[in-house]
Amino acid sequence: MHSLNGRLLIAASVVLAAFLGLTGLSLDRAFRDSAQAAVQDRLQAQVYMLLGAANLDAFNRLTLPQALPEARFSTPDSGLYADVMDSQGALVWHSPSLLGRALPFFPAVRNPGDMQFAPLDAADQTPLFVLAFTVSWEIARNQYQLYTFRVAETRQDFNDQVWSFRRGLWGWLLASTAVLLAVQGLILRWSLKPLRQVTAEIKAIETGQRAELSGDYPEELQPLTANLNALLRQGRAHLERYRNALGDLAHSLKTPLAVARGALETDADPGDLRRTLSEQVARMNRTVDYQLQRAAASGRIALSAPLPVAPLARKILDSLAKVYAERAPRLRAEIAATTVFHGDEGDLLEILGNLADNACKWCQRQVVVRAWPATHQGRAELVLEVEDDGPGIPADQAPLLLHRGQRADPTVAGHGIGLAVVRDLVEEVYYGRLEIGRGELGGARVRVRLRFQANDVGGGPGAGPDP
Amino acid sequence: MRILMIEDETALLERVTQQLREQGYAVDSAADGRTGLYLGQEYPLDAAVVDLGLPDLSGIEVIRRWRAAGRKFPILILTARGRWQDKVEGLEAGADDYLVKPFYTEELLARLRALIRRTGGWTQAVLQCGPIALDTGAQQVTLAGQRVELTAYEYKLLEYLILHAGTVISKTELTEHLYQEDEDRDSNVLEVLVGRLRRKLDPDRTLNPIETLRGRGYRFQLERSAG
Repeated sequence: MHSLNGRLLIAASVVLAAFLGLTGLSLDRAFRDSAQAAVQDRLQAQVYMLLGAANLDAFNRLTLPQALPEARFSTPDSGLYADVMDSQGALVWHSPSLLGRALPFFPAVRNPGDMQFAPLDAADQTPLFVLAFTVSWEIARNQYQLYTFRVAETRQDFNDQVWSFRRGLWGWLLASTAVLLAVQGLILRWSLKPLRQVTAEIKAIETGQRAELSGDYPEELQPLTANLNALLRQGRAHLERYRNALGDLAHSLKTPLAVARGALETDADPGDLRRTLSEQVARMNRTVDYQLQRAAASGRIALSAPLPVAPLARKILDSLAKVYAERAPRLRAEIAATTVFHGDEGDLLEILGNLADNACKWCQRQVVVRAWPATHQGRAELVLEVEDDGPGIPADQAPLLLHRGQRADPTVAGHGIGLAVVRDLVEEVYYGRLEIGRGELGGARVRVRLRFQANDVGGGPGAGPDP
Repeated sequence: MRILMIEDETALLERVTQQLREQGYAVDSAADGRTGLYLGQEYPLDAAVVDLGLPDLSGIEVIRRWRAAGRKFPILILTARGRWQDKVEGLEAGADDYLVKPFYTEELLARLRALIRRTGGWTQAVLQCGPIALDTGAQQVTLAGQRVELTAYEYKLLEYLILHAGTVISKTELTEHLYQEDEDRDSNVLEVLVGRLRRKLDPDRTLNPIETLRGRGYRFQLERSAG
């Protein structure tokens, strides 16, 4: 079953049918019972009437008058019959309506006051209700005789009555089932309409008619559509970034290529040529490095589990401890275990790696990495801070360092690229800021603020110092 | 110094191998991970240079297996992508330093020298033992401040001895670490070299920097100075 509509329809129909079916069955049963009780009451009244009409004749035998108050006893085949038996089972009297017939044998009635009622079939298969009542009749003083009065009525009327009731009952039940099913179908269509709308809108997005889903959805679907929109936006942002990166790359490679070509065409001296070429190769290499690192950033992930920062910082510091083993700087992380990052692990490693690597290059003895959560204008932020006890970055140098691919000190490889890459990553992907300042240790302090969407963050209050 | 280089780009492999040999290193080279893994497990290496992007067995895997097998020589990884995730992964696997491609051979040599020095317990580029100082950067030796002219082989021998100053080094170990596979490994050559080193470093026969332990090998026995 692959359709929600189908599932709901089938489930609801089964429940409805079962409910109405059981209702019908119990109504039918109740009606039969009460109709049967009515028949029993009527037959009992007839028995009492017969008892009232009965008399003893001169020979102390029980007799009943020819003309009974109930005319149907006198009419043959009227459907109402009666007879009287004595205690030996001999027939004492039978109603004229019983002409040529016999009531079915009714064995169990033996004691005075006993009454029995049962649906039985006559010898000729006529269906009957039979009521038997045994009385003790005082024939003479202190002399009693047992008589059993039996009254029977054909079941035809009763059956007709039941069938007519059933026809009405089931007719109504079927009609209301049909109406309820139709209403239910309409309710389902109405309830599932937002899902069809999502499907239609996604199709529209596929064909390029829409950019994202509309915001007008029931609250159960809101998280789904909001996340879908976030994914869509992320995909577009990625595409945009790749396009920009490719464009930048092509642009920035054109210049050194042009210089190199110019040199090939004009420079005759091999020494000059070699120098020009090696300068331009170095420049191209820097450009490619920078653009590659930028492109490597996978970017914010719309649906990512929060990533603890401390273990990743530990990884970076352990790695740097190996690389800078010779200078053995003291590398320290001050990060609470609850501090988390919402995004790609590679991005965080890239940011921390570049910042901490720079700090290690410039530090005297120690480097500190800190991270703590914060809020800015109602949005959650993660603040990362890397500080060293080196010479620091002069205020007039900072903008230069952040400029694409520029190096402040060409003798220490990769300095500027690292910071520029981090700045791009922070600003373009995490809509954050990078600040260069002077820290408590006296050296450079680079602070990065990464912004998250409000619904990205589910974490509790964070630990750590506040800026 | 015996160095293994694993790199699948043969042009780069050949060029670097050549340059390392010119610097006096004995170099084994492999163009794929499996060969490299085998060489690293069988040969007495002083350092290895491993490219991370190998076709069959990744560089990371090679390093992991070496470390798991207890091989302790320093490892320098080469990575083309320069992503911190790759660097961290390589360093976590057991590498000691990384270099992002493309690189200057000078830089590779400097890193290698530093790694090898570190393994010997030296942190400075100049190895100073008493009046003898060996500058690993400039590849020069001075005796009480006076420059001593050494041939390439003499320098290699002295560098190895000073790096492991204080420990006894057998002749076999010396030949294995100093010579290419295809070179003449006559141990008499070694004795002659040691003899010449002694004459150049200790002309008055008062210092006796290189001690001969009969049947066991040699020991550079001057105390290490600072660093």
